[in-house]
Amino acid sequence: MLLVNYLSIDVPRRLAEEFKAAFMKDFRSYIRYPAWLVGDLVSTPLWFFFFAVGVTLFAPTTQTSEYHGFSFFFFGFIFIVLFSTTIWGVGQSVRNEQMAGTLEQFFLAPANRLTLIIGRWARIFLTDLLVVGYTTILLYLFGGGPLPLYEPAHFTFALGLFEVASIGFGLLFAGLTMKLKSYNTLSNLVFFGYMILTGALFPVTVIPMPYRYVSLAIPFTYFIDLMRHAALLTPTIFPENLEYVSAVIVAVAMLLVGSATFNWIERDARARGSIATN
Amino acid sequence: MLPFLFTMLIFGMGRFIGGGNAALNFATRTGTSNVLVYEMLGGAVWMTSWVVVEDVGVALRDEQMKGTLEQNFLAPVNRFTLLIGISLTDIAITTAIFLVVVGATLAFTMPGAYLAFFQAFLLLLLGLVPLFGLGFFFSGFVIKFKEPYIFTQMVNLIFGTLTGTYYPVTILPYWVQFLSGVLPQTYVISNMRQIILANQTLVNLYGSIFILLALAIVYPTLGYLVFKKLEKDASVTGELSKY
Repeated sequence: MLLVNYLSIDVPRRLAEEFKAAFMKDFRSYIRYPAWLVGDLVSTPLWFFFFAVGVTLFAPTTQTSEYHGFSFFFFGFIFIVLFSTTIWGVGQSVRNEQMAGTLEQFFLAPANRLTLIIGRWARIFLTDLLVVGYTTILLYLFGGGPLPLYEPAHFTFALGLFEVASIGFGLLFAGLTMKLKSYNTLSNLVFFGYMILTGALFPVTVIPMPYRYVSLAIPFTYFIDLMRHAALLTPTIFPENLEYVSAVIVAVAMLLVGSATFNWIERDARARGSIATN
Repeated sequence: MLPFLFTMLIFGMGRFIGGGNAALNFATRTGTSNVLVYEMLGGAVWMTSWVVVEDVGVALRDEQMKGTLEQNFLAPVNRFTLLIGISLTDIAITTAIFLVVVGATLAFTMPGAYLAFFQAFLLLLLGLVPLFGLGFFFSGFVIKFKEPYIFTQMVNLIFGTLTGTYYPVTILPYWVQFLSGVLPQTYVISNMRQIILANQTLVNLYGSIFILLALAIVYPTLGYLVFKKLEKDASVTGELSKY
């Protein structure tokens, strides 16, 4: 009876309810282990500090140059945190349920798969914002200076495109890990590939020429380029308008391809009976 | 792969920030222009340390999760022997990491440095002993508080930051350098760089070798005592196999 009532609700409201339920489920799991929050708050600034000190060995001693490097690098750090959500948040969500033996219950719920996964993404995105904000304040207090954000509206728009694309990529990844199982090797390779090739931490112009073509073929390179341009007014790789138009098309395409692939892999896994195989 | 990837990242960022003078700036601050070997030595020791602390620390948690911890503890075997047994596996793993990462780097960049490589390897073996002590400490900590990966990640990051993995500890504030001075990896990394990049020998570096020997006694002793204490507490409160 409850199910019939639930299914009779109009689609947008049902999706909103599913999203809320998925978000709350993940949020409750997260706060059940305070060590996770402590780990996020301690580890994230430490990763930044760890790399930042290493990089200062190469820097000239003039303060202006180091300051620009710091802002550039700090935005790179934010791009990495955001991408880690794609890999370990969206991508790993299905694998986590699989390992815990709860994937069948998850999939048997009368809810849209994508909404459930996006609910998890929303929780992690919220935590990411908390960690990034906290790290920004921490670095400001340690003398890092205020973080510039010259074009906030453009930055938010580019961030939105990045997130749409990253949910699509995460869904593709979630599907792949449901099929391939071996998660850690694949996620580490993709994550480090992203860090090195997309220009998150340094401009793609630093990458030697034959390899730079690989960077230019990765969609995330352009989302990062646009966000950094909006934040720091750095030059874009291609003309700005062209990059925005391409980024919108690519972001939507990535979401559609990711969803379609995930659905296809799930159907295939159901037919083969491999949905919960460890 | 990780030490290579981290080194590539830092070098890429460094080249961007330092421009054409990046290598010169690096040499001014570290005393060597061999960026790759300098960074790879730090990265390899850090990864070794990460594997030891995590594996030894998490091994008992794995038994706990499988429900086999009680059988292990009921076996007529000394706990110390059990922990040492777990640690021995890691000697093989860490040796392989070191030989592949540092061996490959030196083979390409300093092909004649066999003797220095051998001395660096001996130094690594000595440096592993206090690390096992840290692993014992985490074994107890994990039995008591669960959630091993978050704690080992935090601790390994703190180690990476304090021990001068990708920079000399001398650029850190004085009070941080004091903390660095009680960590064995600081001496292993610094001495390895001295041996391979500055033609020093183990004999010349006897001062810090003695400190490392002292840490090799202190850490396992303290680690085991902490482990016993936390294990005893957990057995009294019934926390040994709780999720």
